Amino acid sequence: MPLHPMIPAALAAVVGFGLATSAHAGKTLDAIKSRGQVVCGVNTSAPGFSAADSQGKWTGLDVDFCRAVAAATLGDANKVKYAPLNSQQRFASLQAGEIDVLSRNSTWTLTRDASLGVVFAGINYYDGQGFMVPKKLKVDNVKKLNGATVCVQAGTTSEKNVADYYGANGLKYKPVVFDTAEAITSAFFAGRCQVYTTDMSDLAGARTKASAPDDFQILPQVISKEPLGPSVRRGDDEWFQIVRWTLFAMLEAEENGLTQANVDAQKSSSKDPSVQRFLGVSEDTGKLLGLDKEWAYRIVKQVGNYGESFERNLGPKTPLALPRGANNLWSKGGLMYAAPIR
Amino acid sequence: MRAGLGRPGARPARAAVSATPIGDAAWRARQRARRRREWLQQGTLALLLIALAIGFAHNVAANLAARQIKSGFGFLFDPAGFNIGELLFDYTSRDSYLRAFAVGMANTLRVAIAGVVFASVLGVTIGLMRLARHPLIRALGGAWVEVFRNVPLLIQLLTIYLLVTELLPDSSGAWTIAGAAILSKEGLQIAIPAAGAAALLIALGVAVVSGAAGWLAARRWLTVGAGLVGLVSGSVIAIIAWLATGAIGGWSQPERDGFLISGGASLTPEFLALWLGLSLFTSGSIAELVRAGALAVPVGQTHAALALGLTRGQAMGAVILPQALRLAIPPLASQYMALVKNSSLAVVIGYPDLVSIANTSINQNGQALEVILIIMAVYLTLNLVIALIMNTINARVTRAPR
Repeated sequence: MPLHPMIPAALAAVVGFGLATSAHAGKTLDAIKSRGQVVCGVNTSAPGFSAADSQGKWTGLDVDFCRAVAAATLGDANKVKYAPLNSQQRFASLQAGEIDVLSRNSTWTLTRDASLGVVFAGINYYDGQGFMVPKKLKVDNVKKLNGATVCVQAGTTSEKNVADYYGANGLKYKPVVFDTAEAITSAFFAGRCQVYTTDMSDLAGARTKASAPDDFQILPQVISKEPLGPSVRRGDDEWFQIVRWTLFAMLEAEENGLTQANVDAQKSSSKDPSVQRFLGVSEDTGKLLGLDKEWAYRIVKQVGNYGESFERNLGPKTPLALPRGANNLWSKGGLMYAAPIR
Repeated sequence: MRAGLGRPGARPARAAVSATPIGDAAWRARQRARRRREWLQQGTLALLLIALAIGFAHNVAANLAARQIKSGFGFLFDPAGFNIGELLFDYTSRDSYLRAFAVGMANTLRVAIAGVVFASVLGVTIGLMRLARHPLIRALGGAWVEVFRNVPLLIQLLTIYLLVTELLPDSSGAWTIAGAAILSKEGLQIAIPAAGAAALLIALGVAVVSGAAGWLAARRWLTVGAGLVGLVSGSVIAIIAWLATGAIGGWSQPERDGFLISGGASLTPEFLALWLGLSLFTSGSIAELVRAGALAVPVGQTHAALALGLTRGQAMGAVILPQALRLAIPPLASQYMALVKNSSLAVVIGYPDLVSIANTSINQNGQALEVILIIMAVYLTLNLVIALIMNTINARVTRAPR
């Protein structure tokens, strides 16, 4: 009796599906090259880090990092597809393979590094958790907020930190937990809760969206460490190295004084051996990563160094106006330290 | 029928060609063979399904291990690490995930039961309004149904929540109602009897007793109406008993101390918005069910009742409505189950129900698969319980009259 024609097709589909699932890990760079785009997971709306303007153009510190990765791997910083994710979808999207890199102001913690099947590639913003209150409450210290209603976003480290902090200080609070940042800011600015707690950079960004930003103050207490950085899937060391060294390249460029404006001139005329190595003039560091020799040059030329990216998105001319603080280079008193590119 | 073959000369050709043995023993043998065949087929199918399920589970486990994602249900006993805004029993951030899920389930049950009661009351009222003779009342009922049935529930919830948080005053300028309740953006704080749980139990006991008494008394005149009379009398006397406990034992007033409010009970704006939203949305559908049930009763019943000299109200209460509600019970079960499932939208307006707490857990420990299985199991159990209750009621009201 001849086989039903659907049976070989069904078998092929099952085998293909099985093969596809197993062949998925370890080949991210190949997939990106054949696709021609880096798929980057970003925030739905975090001013200064990743936000789309009214024309649909994405800007921010995390967006600049995505563009740097695209410039290094594909040669063009614009070959990025942005996938806006909320705080619950972000790691699941990365695990499932829907995005290549998650650059979404996410805190690097042990639980996330060890149990989610993702690995953090570095820290691109050192932050801490703070509190924002309306000025009319006349509160200058977090410890005076015993019993207050606190707005917090579901599934963020903020939820856990505020429980720990209030518990450690013997204070009580009533959490109101929303799943999107937009819901929280609308509830907080309407007055539903007295306190909004999240990373300091997030607070500054949220305040810019208030109808009366001067009515709110950010309290000076910082209750936790929140090192924010990009993460990638486990199991693909090649891609992990590329993402990690892209971040180091942006920092190293600032250390060497290379900017978007002067990188061409430096490429042709610099005598500094470390600059020549960085820009691919004397050595090819890119081929060890699976890239070509001008990978770092393209990052600086198309996106700029870390300081320029910070200036552009969080600097004094922006509504957020965050100080460099801990995000300055180590040589200037901050914590940003790149491993040498050699 | 086989007896016909025994007659001499009756279709001899057929008897000669067919080899089927005849007789009782042969038939029993054929039945045994058939049953054996059927068991074999069903057994093979069952084994195949089990093998498929095991294959799926193995594939999932292998993929999780390959990506180094933690799996297993051990996380349920780890400390949760987050606080919950609405508690029916004690819970701190150091308690286990299991207790956090229990709190979430209690919150879901609370809003589901409150929603079912309010939606039924509203739904039956609006349904009766749509059957009224007065055109204005009918039009109002119709408008209610069309608005609340057609606007998506999510939009209704967001709108109600927005109205509640924007229109209510700040805690500094809260409205005090009759000196016993405070209404503000933080919710409704009410004074409760100092006896607390004891007062609640007393009130419930009194409600059951007086409700049963009212039902038995009213059964002499009404049928379905008797149940309603029992319900109303039970609730009224329960409220009186509750107030009496407060008057005797003293009240626990809500008092402010800075931001801390101690004493009294509170209903948060999230609970109020969710309860109201769910009840309004479901009441639209329940009203239509009641109306459909009433219209499905044969028109001869109304004619007969009116011919017997009952007024329209008596005809509705004693003849039409009992039959209409009997017809409406199965679809009513679906509406209640839909209400329970819709309560999972609480996460959008910040009410800490089971799904909201599960979301937080997934983000804290990364074990999405296990947590979602737990949520599915809980909702399945809840809905099966509702189905069981409604099916029992249905069986009782549709049994043949004795």
